[in-house]
Amino acid sequence: MKIKPESYMFEMIRTELTDAIGDENVDVKFADKFGHSIDYYWIPEMWHDRGKECPKADFVVHPGTTEEVAKIMKIATQYKIPVVPWGGGSGSQGGALPIYGGIVLDTKRMNKFYGVDRESYTVRCQTGIIARHLEWNCNKEGFSTMHLPASISCATIGGFLAHRGTGVLSTKYGKIEDMVMSLEVVTPSGEIIRTLPVPRHASGPDLTMLFLGSEGTLGVITEVTLKVHPQPEAREFRAYIFKDFHTAMQAGATLMRSRLGPCAMRLYDETETKTHVSKVFGIDLDKGAYLVFGFDGRKDIVASQMKYAREIMEKQFKGKDLGAKGGEWWWENKYKFFYPGYMFHVPQAFGTLDTVADFAHIERVYWAMKNVVNKEFPDARFIGHFSHWYEWGCMLYARFIFPGDKVPPNEREAAALYNAVWDKAIRAAIANGGVINEHHGVGLKLGRYVKDLYGSAMPVLEGIKKQLDPNCIMNPGKLGFAGC
Amino acid sequence: MHIDKFEDAIMNCRFCFMCRHLSAVGNVRFTEVDTPRIRAAMIYGLRTGTNSFDDEDFVEALYRQDLSACCRHHCVNHFDENGLALAVRADVVEAGKAPDAVKKLAAKFEKSVGWKADGKGDVAWFLDETTASDKSAVAAAKKLFAAAKVSPKVITGGSVGKALKVLGYIAEAKSAAEKFAAFLEAEGVKTLVVSNPAALNALKQDYPEFGVKLPCEVKSMAGFALQSKVKFTKAAGEVYALADDFIRNYQGCACMDKLLDALKAVRKPFGTNDEETYCCGEGAVVLDRLHPEIVKALAEYVAARADDPKKDRIVVGSVYTKRALVKYGKLNVITVEELAASCL
Repeated sequence: MKIKPESYMFEMIRTELTDAIGDENVDVKFADKFGHSIDYYWIPEMWHDRGKECPKADFVVHPGTTEEVAKIMKIATQYKIPVVPWGGGSGSQGGALPIYGGIVLDTKRMNKFYGVDRESYTVRCQTGIIARHLEWNCNKEGFSTMHLPASISCATIGGFLAHRGTGVLSTKYGKIEDMVMSLEVVTPSGEIIRTLPVPRHASGPDLTMLFLGSEGTLGVITEVTLKVHPQPEAREFRAYIFKDFHTAMQAGATLMRSRLGPCAMRLYDETETKTHVSKVFGIDLDKGAYLVFGFDGRKDIVASQMKYAREIMEKQFKGKDLGAKGGEWWWENKYKFFYPGYMFHVPQAFGTLDTVADFAHIERVYWAMKNVVNKEFPDARFIGHFSHWYEWGCMLYARFIFPGDKVPPNEREAAALYNAVWDKAIRAAIANGGVINEHHGVGLKLGRYVKDLYGSAMPVLEGIKKQLDPNCIMNPGKLGFAGC
Repeated sequence: MHIDKFEDAIMNCRFCFMCRHLSAVGNVRFTEVDTPRIRAAMIYGLRTGTNSFDDEDFVEALYRQDLSACCRHHCVNHFDENGLALAVRADVVEAGKAPDAVKKLAAKFEKSVGWKADGKGDVAWFLDETTASDKSAVAAAKKLFAAAKVSPKVITGGSVGKALKVLGYIAEAKSAAEKFAAFLEAEGVKTLVVSNPAALNALKQDYPEFGVKLPCEVKSMAGFALQSKVKFTKAAGEVYALADDFIRNYQGCACMDKLLDALKAVRKPFGTNDEETYCCGEGAVVLDRLHPEIVKALAEYVAARADDPKKDRIVVGSVYTKRALVKYGKLNVITVEELAASCL
């Protein structure tokens, strides 16, 4: 339902919304709606770059409490208006775009920090808090969420919960879903529910996990309790250059299989090492693949872990040691990769082909994607790094980049080219044992692959959606679900 | 257009989120439009026709900015989104699209241009209207001059151009600058001591940009107190220090820090981090007149981050910030000059 601003119904709904949460918290002005029409997805950026108007919400609302969210949901249900939750708007998948108009529910006013529980080492907060602000609050009390993603400065905790985000220390501390104790959720009909208070139980299926990754299609997550950790006594990094990405991958996988438990690991393929790592660090890494890893915790234990890890890197795989300094370069510059000048930028066409696979498949996935991009799209460059490592495998952060002058001037043709790369690359990944994706989410961009991915389980997912959101008002058209 | 000088900021900030957490007004209004990213995207839209100065909401947003320059300071590229904001305001004014409140305020400042000097000698103290409104700050400055055995010529009067520039009235700001420089010349001023960081920034940075040459050396009050080797007999004790926007993010001036060192101040970390500016809109100079509700929200945001709002002794770099934090934040605030005077 798209509501005309000059219509009687528009004023009626606006009145109800302002009555529910206050006039100052309901925006209908062009500038505010514009601010919620572009996220970090390439398509709206390209659209904007070319002077095309992106779809806008009819209302932008800023609730401050769970109860206010519930009131908004009841109004939306009554009038069958789409509701799109919006955190920091920094998602790269178009998940927060109001493609059918309706209400954008900006959660940032729900930014309360309720303090650290020093007995359980947990923290409770509203989900609109920007991750960096939450981290600073925890740091002040001597703790850390250990959730340190590149988008920490802009994304809200709710955004990470909604699409199962991850941070640079995921290898030890896990992704956001590993950090959650429990959730408070407002359902599409406006009911306020709480999931069980602890994440390990045998009391039936876990509702917490149902809402994590639901991308605002099943409700609005309004509050969360997360695990926190005391700041470690030591955190040390070390980096190596390997002759090629295959050798580096074997070294990295061996380190993971050793169960030494690094807190982070990154492996950049030869191209990305040469073009990106060198640029960000300001040093010349002309040949080979750069691998960095680190350990944190008690100083004596970290020293011991590092000693054994070095043996793997140096004795088993003959890595060229860049020393602790070579590792510190990465840790100190970990966010610099995402600033303009170091990150890709419109008018280039670019995308992150985020894929995860076990060690038995990950290299095959890499080559399948790289080969298909190189073969089918000779104007594109393919680079990749492996950025979140687990005992069983890792995430491939592959990217394709078209130079600006190779992107069609017509925006529809540009979008078609862009989507064609995804079609070829993602299907190649899935065919070779990859899963899309590890932490960026599905959103609008990847919705068309969800049926392929879920196969015969798709009706189960659709059944859950139908049960919770019979009117299909929650973030329609995302996560592979139907639009309005 | 003035904005064309800030091509880097327009093209890069419009799709960048890396300073979102530092956007002071964005943090209290919870909006996207009050962030460098969306402002740059909207300014880019002026070129493609998706945005125009005819949109009052857009123009209104341009005048809501805190102009603390915190985002520029912390950007790894230091893209000048602050300069872009000032440039677009100049374009708004030249297009005749300034909001009525802005027009009225600018007219008032333009009318205020004019000064008088009281006293003798070639050392002068510019007692601006903001500082003059705070009796305690004035008394502290006088004590510091007395301790330095300097009896300055006191210059009082209206705008030296900063507020006009911030509002986008560049020609009028330049005219005020030229008049002030001529006034100082006529008064034979060789050293000018300035209490207000906004005025200091105008004299140090805006005037050279305008091509206006001053006949005198310009010093901040803190810099004057340090250089005149005033003897401080008492230690300042524990304080929470909040440098002002101009010193911290515009000029990189270390005077306040050095003065706190000279006062043997034990600095306690304020809030949760040392990245946020904890500003109340001082960089925007007249935000308290255009949008008192935003200044109130900013001050409350700062106050909420104090360890003990009633007891903490907070030292700030400007009377503007002191006024906002006391009025809206109910905090215990003094300026660094007042702290210095109390240590004599």
